[in-house]
Amino acid sequence: MRLFLLSLEILAFSAVLVLFLDRFRKLCHFVFVASLVAACSLNFFVSFPFLRGGETSIFRIPWSVPFGEFTIGLDPLSAFFLMTIGCVALASGIYGCGYLQEHHEKKNLGVHYFFYLLLITLLLVVVTARNAVLFLTAWELMTIIGYFLVTFYDEKKSVREAGYLYLIVTHCGTFCLLVMFALMGQAASSMDFDQMALAHYAPGLTGLLFILGLVGFGAKAGFFPIHIWLPHAHPAAPSHVSALFSGFVIKTGIYGLLRLIFIIKDLPAWSGPVVLAIGGVSGVFGVLYALGQHEIKKLLAYHSIENIGIIALGIGIGLLGNASGHESIALIGYAGGLLHVLNHAVFKSLLFLSAGSVIRSTGTGEIDAMGGLLKFLPFTGHLFLIGSLSICGLPLFNGFISEWLVYRALFDGVIHLDKFGIIMAVMAAVSLALIGGLAAICFAKAFSVIFLGQNRSHRQDIYKENPCMMWGPMMFLAAICVWIGLFPKTIVSFAFASAHFLIAAKPVAAQTEFLLQPILSTTKVLYIFLLVLGLLVLCRALLARRYPERRVGTWACGYPSLTTRIQYTASSFAEPVLRLFKWMVCFQVQRSEKSRINLPEELELSSKVVDMPEHFVFRPILAMLRRFSGMLLKLQSGHIPQYLFYMLLGLIALLLWKFPWRA
Amino acid sequence: MIPFISVLSRLAACLLFSPFLLGVIGKTKAFFAGRKGPPLLQPYYDILKLIQKGSVYSVTTTWIFRAAPLIFFATTLIASFLIPFGGLKAPVQFWGDALLFTYLFGLGRFFIILAAMDTGSSFEGMGASREAIFSCLSEIVLFLNFAALAVLSKSFSLSQMIGESWWASWTVSGPSLILVGASYFMILLVENSRIPIDDPATHLELTMIHEVMVLDHSGPDLAFILHGAAIKLFVQGSFFVTLLIPFQSHNRIIDATVFLAAMIGLAVIIGIVESVMARLRLNRIPSFITGAFVLALFGLIIAIMRVL
Repeated sequence: MRLFLLSLEILAFSAVLVLFLDRFRKLCHFVFVASLVAACSLNFFVSFPFLRGGETSIFRIPWSVPFGEFTIGLDPLSAFFLMTIGCVALASGIYGCGYLQEHHEKKNLGVHYFFYLLLITLLLVVVTARNAVLFLTAWELMTIIGYFLVTFYDEKKSVREAGYLYLIVTHCGTFCLLVMFALMGQAASSMDFDQMALAHYAPGLTGLLFILGLVGFGAKAGFFPIHIWLPHAHPAAPSHVSALFSGFVIKTGIYGLLRLIFIIKDLPAWSGPVVLAIGGVSGVFGVLYALGQHEIKKLLAYHSIENIGIIALGIGIGLLGNASGHESIALIGYAGGLLHVLNHAVFKSLLFLSAGSVIRSTGTGEIDAMGGLLKFLPFTGHLFLIGSLSICGLPLFNGFISEWLVYRALFDGVIHLDKFGIIMAVMAAVSLALIGGLAAICFAKAFSVIFLGQNRSHRQDIYKENPCMMWGPMMFLAAICVWIGLFPKTIVSFAFASAHFLIAAKPVAAQTEFLLQPILSTTKVLYIFLLVLGLLVLCRALLARRYPERRVGTWACGYPSLTTRIQYTASSFAEPVLRLFKWMVCFQVQRSEKSRINLPEELELSSKVVDMPEHFVFRPILAMLRRFSGMLLKLQSGHIPQYLFYMLLGLIALLLWKFPWRA
Repeated sequence: MIPFISVLSRLAACLLFSPFLLGVIGKTKAFFAGRKGPPLLQPYYDILKLIQKGSVYSVTTTWIFRAAPLIFFATTLIASFLIPFGGLKAPVQFWGDALLFTYLFGLGRFFIILAAMDTGSSFEGMGASREAIFSCLSEIVLFLNFAALAVLSKSFSLSQMIGESWWASWTVSGPSLILVGASYFMILLVENSRIPIDDPATHLELTMIHEVMVLDHSGPDLAFILHGAAIKLFVQGSFFVTLLIPFQSHNRIIDATVFLAAMIGLAVIIGIVESVMARLRLNRIPSFITGAFVLALFGLIIAIMRVL
């Protein structure tokens, strides 16, 4: 506990320090990186004992805020999220130093680093707070500081709008949380989480609390259809901030939901199916919208929604298993969801960081303007490939391990649950299969259009690989992806420790064996696979030595040569899928013809998908709100006589109210 | 020692027997067309000839183009270790190996798609895009089939899902198994790019799916892809055959003979389907897969009704 407080102090202190060190560029970077390394490694150190089955530890200081108390606690659930923050914050922070170097002349980086370190501090407080007032304070501050980080490029209008949208949506969420915690505090007559966990809630109240929590935390996490801020905020922010946001900030929503599940033990029976449904819908819509995007960071942002959906599937089946008394299903489901939190944090920040690296080298985020970058940016390209393979859940990488756990929980549900449970679990498993398949299409598209084939732009100069300050942290994340993918034992047992804590069950050695064994057998098969692959590569090398190879141009089906314009683009690659699901994503193809004299008409073809909840639900509602609030503008005209008139009216009203003749 | 022999004979069956199935399909088609057709061993000759050639690589390609055939081959070979067939127990069996089975194929396919896009040719991009969507759809049906089998067998390990004591199950849950089998057969055609989904022998690149993806592969690389595709047909076919043969004599030789005969029977059936049907239009293929989906769904519903 002391070490954890020390890490908080280091972060807060150096945050203030870098604010004043902006002039001394090197020192500022050094303090920033050193404090991140120190705090994050302290965090790893703090969290491991709890994940190995340590006891919960609590730290309290009185606080002058009403009902508030500075209570911080560490337990396996918090520890799992602390570990996740450590990975993401460290890698994105160091990357940020390299990424922002070109802005040093124009912007005050000290302020940016200040906000970054402060955000990390608050994230740490959010996942450890044990008092509702402290939690909400940290949550709100985190939201606001997040706004300052997102709007780094505040000279652009789109960035300011994205930041504003983010503020609106997350504040609506916070409002729900405020109501939820107030109701809980009233029932428990304390704002302390431990007291709340002991309290008894009326059956109707738990349902209401759960819905409030779903909306409040879901707005942060990006559940469909309240995901609308994500696809705007992520592309607007600098890449390392997008990585932190997608990697961890949205996961605080998941953390909140899990904490709520932990506090309210007897949730209504429909909570599991509802979370499963939300998960399936978020996942499928997230990945379909991602397929329609051809701007790299926007594509990745929609994939965050998809992965939040997968996490929700894990939590949903966990709830369902817990409600029906199948402890092992609950454990596997929760562990799968939790592990996917970590995995998604790692591979998504890896992808965002490599996307940032691509954008920095090419100066654009449009996938269809790229191509063949693997030859120019070897580090970025291969790291992006590892990230893509992980996010598709393919074997050898970490995404497979967590998706495997979620699948297993769902199929165990198919085998053991009652009829309704089977139907829910089958639907969830089918949607997970669809999500996995579509994600593979989407990343086959993204990786191959960006990094393979020929370059589509007309630039003559060669793209340059970015400094090691940028690909170094990416290597770190990629190493975690491969490590978890090949040697998952430690991490999976950590996830099970948190899951045990969540359902308040004591781990039993025999049961842990039963839970872990299949995943270890899976990795054994993968080792054999690697061995066979190695042998094949050897065979192939021998064959290549014997029979010479030639290098020529790609076969153009008899035509003289291929131009880069002939290549399949991202739009054409995704078209069959989008056409198939066009009723779900509002896929539109537009043609326009410009007639030219004596020449064939020039044809233009463009396709796009429309985010339906945003354009058909939220934007109309917001427009309506603005119309109504616009009416209020007449009251605030800016003329001083009018305000004086209001004061006079107010005074008269007061006088009338308190006038003696009433008494 | 016994497991060692079992693994060896399994490998031998996969590596040596699988191209024969392609030969049988070819012969059946030739019979229906009234031709003499290529010899039964033609796929072996093709593979041997290709191995003895040098490869031609496009200057656009990267290492992914070279690695993809090997990864594809290795994944299909490893996937064969997970299913029991012909009286041979699966050397590796654990709770949830069905997922690994599916995802190994996914890994191989992902790299073949990347390799196709690596060439920078629009034909190969076209094939890659189509292969991606159709295999994604067929994967869903496969999972639905797994769900039905899991409900029936109360297990999530392929060896128990398809291998054991099906004689008893056939009497109880025959209707459900028939539906699942039919749906799986349709998926088998999709996954292995056979008519009515895809025509491996057509002359027009524009209408192809799988073949157009591997246009630029040559020499040993193409041999690996051809042989890998044959193994894939063998592995997925043996899933089908093991599912449908409700019979185990526990005599190795009888079991193996029955299994191989059934595999050849499957190849003949595929050949007949290819001969009597025309290839579907590309935009009709999703409806075909939806048909398989509906069959699997009914199979699952009946399974749930029977078991609970």
